[in-house]
Amino acid sequence: MEGYFSAAVAGLGAAGAYALLGVCVVFTYRLVSVVNFTGASIGAAGTFVLVVLHQAGLGVLPAAIIGLVAGTLTGMLIGSVMTRWFAQASASTKAAVNVALLVGIVSVGLRLTGGQHPKQFPDLFPGSAFSLADVQVTISALVALGVAAAFTLVSDYFLARTSLGLQLQALSENPKSAELLGIRVGLLSLVVWAVTGLLATFAMMIIAPARSPDFMSLSLLIIPALAAALVGAFRNPWMTFAGGMGIGILQGLTSNIPHLGQYRGTIPLLVILAVLLWTQRGARWDEAR
Amino acid sequence: MSQFMVAGLEVRRSGLPVVRGVELEVTSGRISVVLGANGAGKTTFLEGLSGSIPISGGRIVLDGTELQRARPGARARAGLAHIEEGRTVFRHMTLDQNLRVASHPSTKGTWAYELFPELKARRNTKAGLLSGGEQQMLVIARALVGRPKVVLIDEMSAGLAPVVVTRLMRAVRQLADDGLAIVLVEQFPALALTVGDRAYVMRRGRMVYTGACAELKESPGHLHHLYLGDSD
Amino acid sequence: MKHDSIKSSLRLVVAAIVGGVIAREALPEYWVYLATSVLITAIVLQSLGLVVSRAGMISLCQMSFAGVGAWVVGWLNVAGAPGGLIVWTLIGGLAAVPFGVAIGLPALRLRGVNLAIVTLGFASAFDMVLATINFPGQTNFLSVARPALFASDGNYFVLVLAFYVAVSVGLEFLARSRLGASWLALRHSERAAASNGVNIPAAKVSAFAISAFIAGLSGGLLAGFLGTVVSSNFSVMQSLAMFAVAIMAGSFFPEGALIGGLLVVLVPQILRTFGLAQDWGNVLFAVGATQALSTGEAISEAVRKVARKIPWPRSTKAGPEGVADGKKLPAPLRLDRSTDALRIEALSVRYGQLVALDDVDLSVPVGEVMGLIGPNGAGKSTLIDAVSGFLAHYEGRVSVAGEKFDGRRAHLRARGGIRRTWQTTRIAPELTVGQYMRLAAGRLREDQLRAVLDWLECADARMLVSSLDAGTRRLLDVAGAVAARPAVVLLDEPAAGQSYDDAYELGNHIARIPTLFGSAVLLVEHDMDLIRLACSSVAVLDFGAVVATGRTREVLDDASVKRAYLGIAEEAMA
Repeated sequence: MEGYFSAAVAGLGAAGAYALLGVCVVFTYRLVSVVNFTGASIGAAGTFVLVVLHQAGLGVLPAAIIGLVAGTLTGMLIGSVMTRWFAQASASTKAAVNVALLVGIVSVGLRLTGGQHPKQFPDLFPGSAFSLADVQVTISALVALGVAAAFTLVSDYFLARTSLGLQLQALSENPKSAELLGIRVGLLSLVVWAVTGLLATFAMMIIAPARSPDFMSLSLLIIPALAAALVGAFRNPWMTFAGGMGIGILQGLTSNIPHLGQYRGTIPLLVILAVLLWTQRGARWDEAR
Repeated sequence: MSQFMVAGLEVRRSGLPVVRGVELEVTSGRISVVLGANGAGKTTFLEGLSGSIPISGGRIVLDGTELQRARPGARARAGLAHIEEGRTVFRHMTLDQNLRVASHPSTKGTWAYELFPELKARRNTKAGLLSGGEQQMLVIARALVGRPKVVLIDEMSAGLAPVVVTRLMRAVRQLADDGLAIVLVEQFPALALTVGDRAYVMRRGRMVYTGACAELKESPGHLHHLYLGDSD
Repeated sequence: MKHDSIKSSLRLVVAAIVGGVIAREALPEYWVYLATSVLITAIVLQSLGLVVSRAGMISLCQMSFAGVGAWVVGWLNVAGAPGGLIVWTLIGGLAAVPFGVAIGLPALRLRGVNLAIVTLGFASAFDMVLATINFPGQTNFLSVARPALFASDGNYFVLVLAFYVAVSVGLEFLARSRLGASWLALRHSERAAASNGVNIPAAKVSAFAISAFIAGLSGGLLAGFLGTVVSSNFSVMQSLAMFAVAIMAGSFFPEGALIGGLLVVLVPQILRTFGLAQDWGNVLFAVGATQALSTGEAISEAVRKVARKIPWPRSTKAGPEGVADGKKLPAPLRLDRSTDALRIEALSVRYGQLVALDDVDLSVPVGEVMGLIGPNGAGKSTLIDAVSGFLAHYEGRVSVAGEKFDGRRAHLRARGGIRRTWQTTRIAPELTVGQYMRLAAGRLREDQLRAVLDWLECADARMLVSSLDAGTRRLLDVAGAVAARPAVVLLDEPAAGQSYDDAYELGNHIARIPTLFGSAVLLVEHDMDLIRLACSSVAVLDFGAVVATGRTREVLDDASVKRAYLGIAEEAMA
């Protein structure tokens, strides 16, 4: 039993990152109606800026700040493409464009970050916070979980109480009526992409040291985030948070089991299938058409 | 003193011409009523005016500014407000939040409660739970927050009891008297003709009648004919 | 239809033979090698074309299906199974199908993006699993055995070409079949497809399964081509890049797959000669795909547009003239007149507090054309949606020709005797008029088809729907519904936007539907002239309830109807 518990705790670092990325996916969908397959790759871009600057001699903190800015700008760039030319497009077209952009950004990322020198990913929050049953719970893990929880809490409050939040709610509920009221929907969309880009970068900076330093595999971390978003039905950030936690912990658990450990990459897929099978019993067809 | 003018407006929906060569004029303090049976093209006409759908021809001029190429947000900020049919409140936000979301630096939302005191008691109710009449009052008040010059109102009386419609019509007349230019699209002519100044009747996308509201009110048979066609 | 499929298939085969012979004899060996690569890629792109361009679904794991095919071929090779590479490849293709069905089924309803998420998850999981399993035979340096006849590179090229042609011919036949038409229909509008009797989930799964099969074939061929493969041949990035190329080149037309194959193989070659890294090729595909999506036009579509402008020598042989002869129309439906064609009892629809329909009773007798009128928001569309099966819940009973229809899904109601048209026409523009008519009405002989189209003065069966104007498409919607000869046809504002004369013609045609086709008609319209012309009786809805029914003239003169349309009674206006 202890082995499993410690394995589960070991998965908390990933859990926090999945939860944060998943919540970003849900908010992007709710506010600007886009399923953002590029979320993790945006974060990866900012993370690699951090790495390169740090290796060039810059301190961790300034490098991280510049990396966060880079990630935010990358998110805004993707967002401006989606908003400028595809704001009125169908959901499938938007998804197809987003996937195409993913191919582009990953290719550019691989090109710019490939090469011989092994990359060193600085741990932003090194060390362990406390130990739970002989397992170290890292500060990183706690920070990721904390930021995810804080973001969900704050955004609920923000959306309900501030005037910018109200405008975002209006954007999400009925962008057409919002525009007719003179609300600047284009600008608001960019704000959404900037904030989610920033947070995705933060999430990736936390999880990167524990993963393989390859732009592609970091970008594919969008998959457990999408699985978490499905658990939340692309609507409920708390369920998404729980989903992300669950997937991370499950992955931690299975890495302990002798023969199944190497297959823990299939867990997000299994979660996706399970959630879809459950939610679509009794459903009819794509209502939009 | 504002002047709003539409000339030769053409709008298509999936390739079909739904509005053909329509002209209209309204100035501050006046209400232009646009009547017609359903399917005549009235809603599409307003959507073309506000920019919700693109037009294929014509001019839209507000106080000398040509608006036909501007985006909907720009038209709204230029002073053209469009109150859509169907009472499009933001359902998950409260009444007060609906007013605040349209907030303009120069206005505070409280005067809406002066225009419609009934709403004060419901300020914290979610807009989706308000009655039809309350929702209609809300969308009217919300559109006025930005201090528009011209207001386009699409079928505000649809689905409402006559006593509520009377109340709303009186409010609309009040707004015009306070200086707004209003284009009022209605399917039910009776009360609209009582408060309106100029009347237009649409049929199959064209204006088939332009004249004073008072005249049309005097001849209900003529109006019936314009709407429903001949009984052979 | 079959005739057309055979013609275009023959053209393909001839082109392939000619091209193949030239390539094999004239090209240097390295180019033959590249050409084989192009064809294998083109097969993958054809599988994507089926799913993406025809059925309108996003699949991000085609290379994983190819990987299944390759690994199965590898195992069969190591096991020394009988049959040789050709049989192994076919088995590999079949092996990919259950994977396709398993991940496709849960994702086929609701949000279309669900399938994109599932396939991406599958691609990633498969990639990780594959990375832990060596390709069968790799450790023993055992390469996949090619059949003796196709052992040389030149001959293997011919084998791959043969597979490519076989797949293309198969897809040509599929495209013109009813299944192919239903894919295009559901891509454009699932509701409209269901209203023509298409079983949406079944159609989607079949598209996905067939595409998995084709992708599996390509994997087997790749294994034979390279002798041994590695997991990176089938990585997530490969699947994603293929998707981008399919969108950029346009996989709807067969030449799009070839163009895509050329892009995938030649772009890296070109980059290499300039000393640039191959990753930039993928960036090009990403930009190209984004461009194609924003303009709505892919490379092969643009090429076709240009090609159409070139004055090719065309055959001037005209088709046989159609005569608007009532005798050639398909036999009318014969119903028992003792039960109503459509009977609605106590129909109520509520959305929370809002009552859309309130205890509606309505009967359309056999042989009757009944009008349904009422002001905006009265509930006419809700009624049509409820009767035709497009509302999840309603209270009350709907029966057609005596048979209860409650609880049945939309496509079963369409097959069972209720057909409807749509306010906004949702016919897939890529279909021909004839394909659409056959989709809607089932098997029809050529002359029957022409007779229906001529009767409505609609269009020639060979024309593409995209070349028809919106008014003609509306007529086509009516033609399809009527040719199916259901017990009752629900027409939703068929004359909207039409000129006075056209609407008059249409009114006359509608009045004759019961005589010519045996179907009763419920006509929703705002055009009172049309109602007067076509309908013998009329029902009036206001605020979700029926306020008047009866003979047309009496109802239209009734005071309550005038009130419904004009608001307060006329006297009150003074």
